[in-house]
Amino acid sequence: MKARLIVACVLALVAATPAFAHRLDEYLQATTISLDKENLHGQLRLTPGIAVFGKVLAAIDTNGDGLISQAEETAYADRVLADLSLSADGRRLEPVIASYKFDKLSLLKQGLGEIDVDFDAPLPAGVRKLVFENHHQSRISAYLVNCLVPEEPIRVTGQSRNSTQSHYELRLSEGTPSIATPAHGTALPPWYSAFALLVGVPFVWKRRRSVRSR
Amino acid sequence: MKSACGVAALGLACTLAAVALSGYDRQPQPGTARIVSAADAFLATLTPEQRKREQFAFDDNEQRARWSNLPTGFVPRAGLSMGQLNASQRSAAMDLMAATLSPKGLEKVKEIVEGDEVLKQGSGGRDQNMFGKDLFYISILGTPSAKTPWMLQFGGHHLALNITIAGEQGILTPSLTGAQPALYTENGKTIRPLGAESDKGIALLNSLDESQRKQAILSFQVADLVLGPGQDGKTIVPEGLKASSMNAKQKAMLLDLISEWAGIVHQGAANARMNEIKAGLNETWFAWSGSTTVAPGRNIAAYYRIQGPKLVIEYAPQRLGGDLSMHVHTIYRDPTNDYGRGVTGK
Repeated sequence: MKARLIVACVLALVAATPAFAHRLDEYLQATTISLDKENLHGQLRLTPGIAVFGKVLAAIDTNGDGLISQAEETAYADRVLADLSLSADGRRLEPVIASYKFDKLSLLKQGLGEIDVDFDAPLPAGVRKLVFENHHQSRISAYLVNCLVPEEPIRVTGQSRNSTQSHYELRLSEGTPSIATPAHGTALPPWYSAFALLVGVPFVWKRRRSVRSR
Repeated sequence: MKSACGVAALGLACTLAAVALSGYDRQPQPGTARIVSAADAFLATLTPEQRKREQFAFDDNEQRARWSNLPTGFVPRAGLSMGQLNASQRSAAMDLMAATLSPKGLEKVKEIVEGDEVLKQGSGGRDQNMFGKDLFYISILGTPSAKTPWMLQFGGHHLALNITIAGEQGILTPSLTGAQPALYTENGKTIRPLGAESDKGIALLNSLDESQRKQAILSFQVADLVLGPGQDGKTIVPEGLKASSMNAKQKAMLLDLISEWAGIVHQGAANARMNEIKAGLNETWFAWSGSTTVAPGRNIAAYYRIQGPKLVIEYAPQRLGGDLSMHVHTIYRDPTNDYGRGVTGK
């Protein structure tokens, strides 16, 4: 009965669009990983939809006063971090919070605000395989996870995810960058090819005729 | 003599064909001088107070980044809104847009703006301050000049054009286009503001053979733009099918798809940009996530990404509204030259 009521409320919200804001019935969690030779840095952007914000707020506002205190922000960032897992070549890494930022509660309530949680983890030398998992609020979440093209000498040789992107594997080696540098091809302007055709076609034609006539 | 004439005629025919195929002279090139003249004419219509609100420093990074897919009621824009301009000022503003964009680009922009008006009307008047064509903003960063770099911004809900003019260059990145509703009727005509982006995307997918599709189609869901607003200067590891594995026809289809974004700006700038993209084409990737079918006359309900050395394009249907085919956000970037930084150094 309760589930039906929730579905009805969500449908009512959908029907009421466009009066409402952006995300609706999911908690978008977008992670961007960047790597250097010694460190992994993660940026996690969390955007709760308005229809699920109640659940998210309940996990943040633990004293239930309807506000988000500094202590509650810190505790929530720690909880998010605890729901992540990171391993390098099968060995568990221990990420630490680098920073966190909460948008205003009024924005979050409208499905517009973001919670940013940045974390760091030391990267063992010569690591070949990294696995990142995000299990935070999995019943209501949509996940995105990507890796920025690393600086040399690290190279991403492969990446794979499960269907929801809650599980991400990166295969690494040392070598050239994973995305080729621009070719900087010297594209000729169209007038150049037109000129070449104008001059070249009669020349080739004439030459072929003279060869044939020999 | 006869054969010499024939040869010359053939040469001329080839020349004309080459020029026609290149699309180089389909329209007179507006050039920066014409854009500057239109910008000056627009600024001349403004009161001193309006000019203060309209103009920003060229390197005002806050104003550069003040764009979003969201309505202006949620993410306030700066500059002057169309609703704050009188009829002649609005006309001059649109003349400036017409000088800066290609005819097709201008039409796309007008359709996105009109779509927002449809959204407003559809809300039964509840969202007067949230949606509608009066809530699109124009702003100028720097001083319009044929030599010194400056920037023109135009946008609102589902639209953000950031156009850096640097000499003869017109750099359109980063820009966002979107549509909700993605299909509407106006005077009995069906309008799909981003219909070509959808149609050409799935046509390219359908042109791929089984082995290419295996590489192009990602096995996971992509719920939104990865490099949307606020994600400036980032380059993610590419994935999908590399264009070097495409045949000539598929490459041409990919370029045609890319031109839906690169061709928003006027033809001279678009040609230069397409040449740049062609130079990196073999290092460009095409990735698809979601449904591989589409209902006739509708937009796809799938995400795709095109990523090259100097290019990121994402097409991301949105769940808000309940129908993925009716609400879409797209982003167009050059991570090496967003806001013209690669050219101007600022």
